[in-house]
Amino acid sequence: MRHPVDSYVNRLLRRRRPKPFAPTQDELAVMRTAIDLMAAAPEAHGPRPPFVEQLRARISEQERDEKGPEAARPAWRAPARRRFLAAGALTAAGAAAGVGADRMAVIASGEDQNGRPGQPGPGSGPQQPQPQAELTPSVGVWRDVAASADLAEGDVHPFDLGSVSGFLRRASGRVQAVSGICTHQGCRLDLAAARDELSCPCHGATFTVAGVNLTHPRQSNGPLPALPRLPVREQTGRIQVYAPPPSPSHQD
Amino acid sequence: MIGSRVVKALRFGVRAVWPDEAPTTLPGAVYPDWDAIYADNVGRIYRLMFAKVGNRPDAEDLTSQVFLAAYGPLRATAGVGQVRAYLTATARTVLAEHWRRTLGHQVTEIDLETTDLEDYTGPAAADETANGPTQQRTTRILRALPERQRQILVLRFLRGYSIRQAATELGVSIANAKVLQHRALRAAAGLDKDGTEGEAS
Repeated sequence: MRHPVDSYVNRLLRRRRPKPFAPTQDELAVMRTAIDLMAAAPEAHGPRPPFVEQLRARISEQERDEKGPEAARPAWRAPARRRFLAAGALTAAGAAAGVGADRMAVIASGEDQNGRPGQPGPGSGPQQPQPQAELTPSVGVWRDVAASADLAEGDVHPFDLGSVSGFLRRASGRVQAVSGICTHQGCRLDLAAARDELSCPCHGATFTVAGVNLTHPRQSNGPLPALPRLPVREQTGRIQVYAPPPSPSHQD
Repeated sequence: MIGSRVVKALRFGVRAVWPDEAPTTLPGAVYPDWDAIYADNVGRIYRLMFAKVGNRPDAEDLTSQVFLAAYGPLRATAGVGQVRAYLTATARTVLAEHWRRTLGHQVTEIDLETTDLEDYTGPAAADETANGPTQQRTTRILRALPERQRQILVLRFLRGYSIRQAATELGVSIANAKVLQHRALRAAAGLDKDGTEGEAS
């Protein structure tokens, strides 16, 4: 008498995240009913204040990362209304593509925090990722990493200077560089095929190309710090990163 | 996507203090800024999502996704109606993607025609048991069931009894309580119309 749908329902009743299985049509109907009935649960009444705060902080974090290190750019030139509508046109694609991966991050962090049915106290939420620091070597030089012309708007390019390696991207005309080393245990990140995400081959952590942690390994017990940014500039058609001078043992 | 996200630098530097009760929105009202959009709608989106997935971890994840996706486009000042419509549309996409990834079936959907975030305003509505769209459905589901099936679902879902407690309350074995619950849910879902409850009694 062990139906997978019973486990699904029981996990709902135990206030846990239900586990996926391959439901039949009948089972789907049962799940829908159980979900409807769960509306009576106290948690249905509203979000936990720590969650609300945490999400607000995450959005601010994302905002800062999008903004770039010292970008005091003026707000857009387009009128507010047009901006809003244009964004609306992108909703479906944006939400599906951009957010999909994000979900995994919260899954991993959410389970620890919500695994037990009681109300976690304010202190028990996952810790916030550290603010993204800039990786500035004490002794460094500006080193060429790419030609400006090779990095079009929206492009992401890996670079490797030996001592530091990472990814360049151009967003809103500005070039940014983030470290390409995972902040979990130091593996070198790969650029995903869609060029919109950095992934760690060791434990599967992922980061946005701006360096924000998207998903983290279960054992890391909370979001990972964002990838450090590197000072970067464009000069005479070259993109340069401020990095330690080339060492004799490593030619770049 | 990244390129389109331009930033108003200072807005997030200021931690606003939220009023305990959101002011009533007038038709044509406009949110002054993103903070107001967030404060006014985070609870609504969470309640909407909870109604669609039935558990807090998923509801929190999906709520996060909606706001992380929407914050760029919605940073501008915009009318309350537009913002809510945009958030609902984003929620719909996020929910669809959630089901696609986890179960491969659209278990629940957000219908843009009938979903009004105003219905997800607050717990007050839920307490009165009949106001929210989901609460209405719950009442209807339970009313249609035979007595013992209704009892087990009330104990388990509404009162939060464990299966053991529910079994004791109903004077049956745990195994029978499980069977009863399974059948009650099937009956409530409109399957097994005859609604046999034999094994439990």
